[in-house]
Amino acid sequence: MIQTIRVASKNKIDDLSGKHLLNDIRTELKRTDITSVETVKIYRLEGVSEKEAELLTKKVFCEDINQIATINKPLLSSSSKIIEISYKPGVMNPEVASILKAAKDLGVNLIACDTSREYGFVGKINLEDAKKIIHDLKLFNKTVEHIVEDSPTTLIISGTAGKTKTITIREINDDQLMQLSKDTLFLNLEEMHVIQKYFQKIKRDPTDAELETLAQTWSEHSGHKTFKANITIIDKDLPSGRQKKTPLFSRIKKEALKHKKNIVSAFVDNSGAMDFYDGWAICGKAETHNSPSAIEPYGGAMTGSGGVFRDIVGTGLGAKTLVSTDIFCLAHPTLSDDKLPAGSLSPLYILKRVIAAVKDYGNRMGIPTNNGSLHFHNDFRAKPTVLVGAYGILPKKSAQKGTPKKGDIIVSIGGRIGRDGIHGATFSSAEMTDRTISVNAQAVQIGNAIEEKRTFDAIIEARDAGLIRAIQDSGGGGLSSAVGEIGSELGVTVQLKNERLKYQGLSPWEIWLSESQERMVLAIPKNKFSAFEKVCQKYNVEVTNLGFFDGSKKLNLFYGDEAVGELDMEFLHNGLPQRNMIAKKSIDKPLKEVLPTTPKSSAEWITICKKILSHPNIASKEPIVRLYDHTVQGTAVVYPFSGEKMDGPNDASVIRPLLNKPYGMVVSHGLNPILNRIDPYWGSMWAGAEALANYVAVGGDYKTASLINNYVWPFPDEESLWSLDQSVDAVVDFMSITKMPVISGKDSLSSTYRGKDGTIIKIPPVLCISVFGKIKDVSKTMTSDLKKENSILCLVGAMDYASLGGSTYYDIYGVLGNSVPKVAMKKLIQVADVIYNGIQKNQILSVHDISEGGLLTTVFEMCVGGNIGAHISISNKLSPEQILFNETAGTFVIEIENEHTAKKLFKNIPYTIIGKTLGEKILSVEQNKKELFSISIESLKRFWQEPMQKIFN
Amino acid sequence: MKKPNVMILRTEGTNCDEEAFFAFEKAGGNPKMVHINDLRNKKESFDNFNVLVLPGGFAYGDDVVSGKILAVELTSFFEKELKKFIERKDTVVIGICNGFQVLVRTGLLPFRNIGEMDATLTNNDSGHFECRWIHLKIEENSKSPILKNIGGQIVSYQVAHGEGKFYATDAVMDKIEKEGLVALRYVDESGNPTQNYPENPNGALHAIAGITDPTGRIFGLMPHPERFVLEEQHPNFKRMKKVTPQGLPIFENIITFIQSQ
Repeated sequence: MIQTIRVASKNKIDDLSGKHLLNDIRTELKRTDITSVETVKIYRLEGVSEKEAELLTKKVFCEDINQIATINKPLLSSSSKIIEISYKPGVMNPEVASILKAAKDLGVNLIACDTSREYGFVGKINLEDAKKIIHDLKLFNKTVEHIVEDSPTTLIISGTAGKTKTITIREINDDQLMQLSKDTLFLNLEEMHVIQKYFQKIKRDPTDAELETLAQTWSEHSGHKTFKANITIIDKDLPSGRQKKTPLFSRIKKEALKHKKNIVSAFVDNSGAMDFYDGWAICGKAETHNSPSAIEPYGGAMTGSGGVFRDIVGTGLGAKTLVSTDIFCLAHPTLSDDKLPAGSLSPLYILKRVIAAVKDYGNRMGIPTNNGSLHFHNDFRAKPTVLVGAYGILPKKSAQKGTPKKGDIIVSIGGRIGRDGIHGATFSSAEMTDRTISVNAQAVQIGNAIEEKRTFDAIIEARDAGLIRAIQDSGGGGLSSAVGEIGSELGVTVQLKNERLKYQGLSPWEIWLSESQERMVLAIPKNKFSAFEKVCQKYNVEVTNLGFFDGSKKLNLFYGDEAVGELDMEFLHNGLPQRNMIAKKSIDKPLKEVLPTTPKSSAEWITICKKILSHPNIASKEPIVRLYDHTVQGTAVVYPFSGEKMDGPNDASVIRPLLNKPYGMVVSHGLNPILNRIDPYWGSMWAGAEALANYVAVGGDYKTASLINNYVWPFPDEESLWSLDQSVDAVVDFMSITKMPVISGKDSLSSTYRGKDGTIIKIPPVLCISVFGKIKDVSKTMTSDLKKENSILCLVGAMDYASLGGSTYYDIYGVLGNSVPKVAMKKLIQVADVIYNGIQKNQILSVHDISEGGLLTTVFEMCVGGNIGAHISISNKLSPEQILFNETAGTFVIEIENEHTAKKLFKNIPYTIIGKTLGEKILSVEQNKKELFSISIESLKRFWQEPMQKIFN
Repeated sequence: MKKPNVMILRTEGTNCDEEAFFAFEKAGGNPKMVHINDLRNKKESFDNFNVLVLPGGFAYGDDVVSGKILAVELTSFFEKELKKFIERKDTVVIGICNGFQVLVRTGLLPFRNIGEMDATLTNNDSGHFECRWIHLKIEENSKSPILKNIGGQIVSYQVAHGEGKFYATDAVMDKIEKEGLVALRYVDESGNPTQNYPENPNGALHAIAGITDPTGRIFGLMPHPERFVLEEQHPNFKRMKKVTPQGLPIFENIITFIQSQ
């Protein structure tokens, strides 16, 4: 028998969800037939008496100060049309574990429970109307939730485990091979042939688990086949028309290792680590979670955060996460549903849900999310880019990747395994089609931050007690990937029956492949296993002894007595054939566009300024930042926003990782996808320059910094591989000039959409460069807000004035342009040195880099922070829009006390004095002593702040 | 003088423990991280401590409502120990943010009724989580030793919470006011208590940001004084001529009070 408890607010006025919904129904749906909406939380309890249900209601579920409850009775009046939404059976509901715990603490033996929510609509409508409202307001996601039509009779999921199956592969033809590959394995024919030959050689057919293991290890997601491929470039501008090039990955690695003075660990571990101070190292990693986020953005982005945090704790012998960053590329939130390809979710919905996910996961983990950006372009409408970064700290002596020894125990800890997340790794390597949502729904799940938090707490204590030999994140591919990886040298014997399950009925291969979240795999020396178990017990973390490192150089899988798989580690990890790929430069046809003409009147100028500042790429992201606990751990030094009203944006984040030391860690990033579509080399250089400029603007020293590069690209057909090759060349050149090494990164090469009707959508290629590093003294940092009246403003750095291609200014006219700004990299590093030294010597009052929106946006944002105004005076050698709206990365606006100091400080680098700060809160611009326009900061600020306020307040 | 022993209570989802630890260390205390399971298995005891700190975070994910599951655990297993602890004259209990939510749900605040709730902290009126710096006025007529010499001051702390609206019946609100249990209120730029968002970030009744019990030795507040014990923790330290870490006096007062007992 199930006891059903319903809880609601005592006073209708306190039902905030109901109030907000009613508001949405009136404003968004423009419906006037609803007079009120009420919301109810439902708890279903199995295995307890009504009396026990009463006790739990009183002690746990209902606070009678402001709530009311019913047991096994409706709560809302019969006149409302009631719809109940719950997670689908089997989808992880994070609240359940806490409720079971509270019941146990109260001495109640609760067997199973679930929670759901009920919406009651009052008005002249029928039940179908109510359902329509639920759908129209997107109050649930069909992938993981459903409308409850009949109350469940049991909450216990049961089933019997399937047997291991043998799959015929030795004697099938190519068509049959590809049929086998489609929708589950995502391997190409050549790869399928290699697998076929292996099993022909060992004279048996594979088990389901073996085939799945190979598919996941060889997936683009895990195998990085494109980055390891030999590349032939076809380009008619080359002397012979073609050129053979070494693999992308080896080019990056080769250049990076030339600059290793600060490197502690690069390219070998779950994140890259560099030297910090006093025997500490810091580490960083960024990765995407695009495919799941496209179909269930909340779960997708949550598990993205969870995964990248596990990369940090899975570095060396375990690191503590200090910072989280989030970078999203989406279609414009205003894009209407009818412009979306079949199978795609609305960008506004995706935006709200990914932000909610980062908030819910990061805040619960206690990891400050304090750096990030949003980029809007409608070609992200089918496949959004969701890039999450994380940075951590660990003792240098524990910073090298661990090596298991023969006889060590394979331990899996953290969450239990369910059917969720199966095929995530292979799925994310596939292109998106209109079938993606229905076929791959099981690849998505909901994260449970608290499970991850307690697991991390246990790992750090176990690390400090010297109990860990090696550690590996169990993410994409689940155990198959984590155990396969950690045991790749020695070989392992694994007993799958030992694994803890969320519910019965999983086949052995499902246990092996499941990507259930919040799990880590470790190698623990035999004699330390019981001490390790005790640490886990203290933190309520469950432990499985999964087997041991057996020295067989094989993957030996068992489920009880049943042999589930036996694969040579050598074949599994090195059997994947290296690809030979062709990259072809597509014919350059310069766009013939009508370029905008210089604004003619003050009114025209002001209109353009307002359009630029309210462009979603430029608009203030403060309402989003306020949702993130961006200062937890007490480490924040340079905040996302500072200034008189704390609403002026800063360029990068600085934190103090060790509260009792003055040392700082600086984190910044840069990207501009649309530039890569025009010119992938210079677009990528721009990304690096922007990341560096952001880093320098807050007081960072690039000489003690490292890089992370993330490539999110359309499927690597010949054309997209050409642009990817160009981008990698730019990154290599960027490293060579700045001497900063890439020490971590990731690629995701599946951002192409193919619809049944022939629609193909490729995203503008994303290269995100992140910079992180160390500074000795956090008091020598800088913010962007103007500090005082009557100081002078300098434009510092070499601007490529003529190149406005890909700028926001062009975008508001619907123009793309042919020429992107070419950053003078060698000058930029000189500029970076001068700025760093100027900040160290207190000669600089404020710095803000110029990027999207151009100089005008930069000065405006500095005025907002300072709550004062500025006067800009520009030369008549150029047309004003080339100065005001040019987006050359690596240029800065710098506030200096007086001209004398500026002259001294900037004598060896390009700079111009462009104006001064004003007590009056206006922004005025003149050219050749003639005023172009003048406008109050407040009125511009409204346009700048409104777009995100509308969505998030 | 002996450094008082400070228990920083940890459980699943606690996440402001390290900054609380640091604040007490800086204020002259002897903090120790104590996991609730080590109290349950008697490895640790309340008897060895003078200060019990319930730090911020999301205890057990704040499932059901914030702080609830931990409050149930504390009242189920430690009722006697807690009673004994608060009856000692040389003890202080402080709950910050999530810790404050736990304190009202155990009944320790406002009236020391363990197991009986008299007030609650519920969803912010805005309907969402809020992380920002706000202004607070420290109540002049509070008799709490924790607020000694800082009564009447306007200070800036951060808030970072989604369920911070202090709420109780009219009768309880009257009693709280009459007995002088209010410790801090959200104020506007001119220093007056306010119900306006975002100066009052959650819509708390009477703009209440923190309260004490009648002895003044149990203290709960939504804002985070432990995140302002260093100059550079203020986002505008570069603009300000002199930065005083305004969170520190709270912790120093606790230490001084215990040392005086």
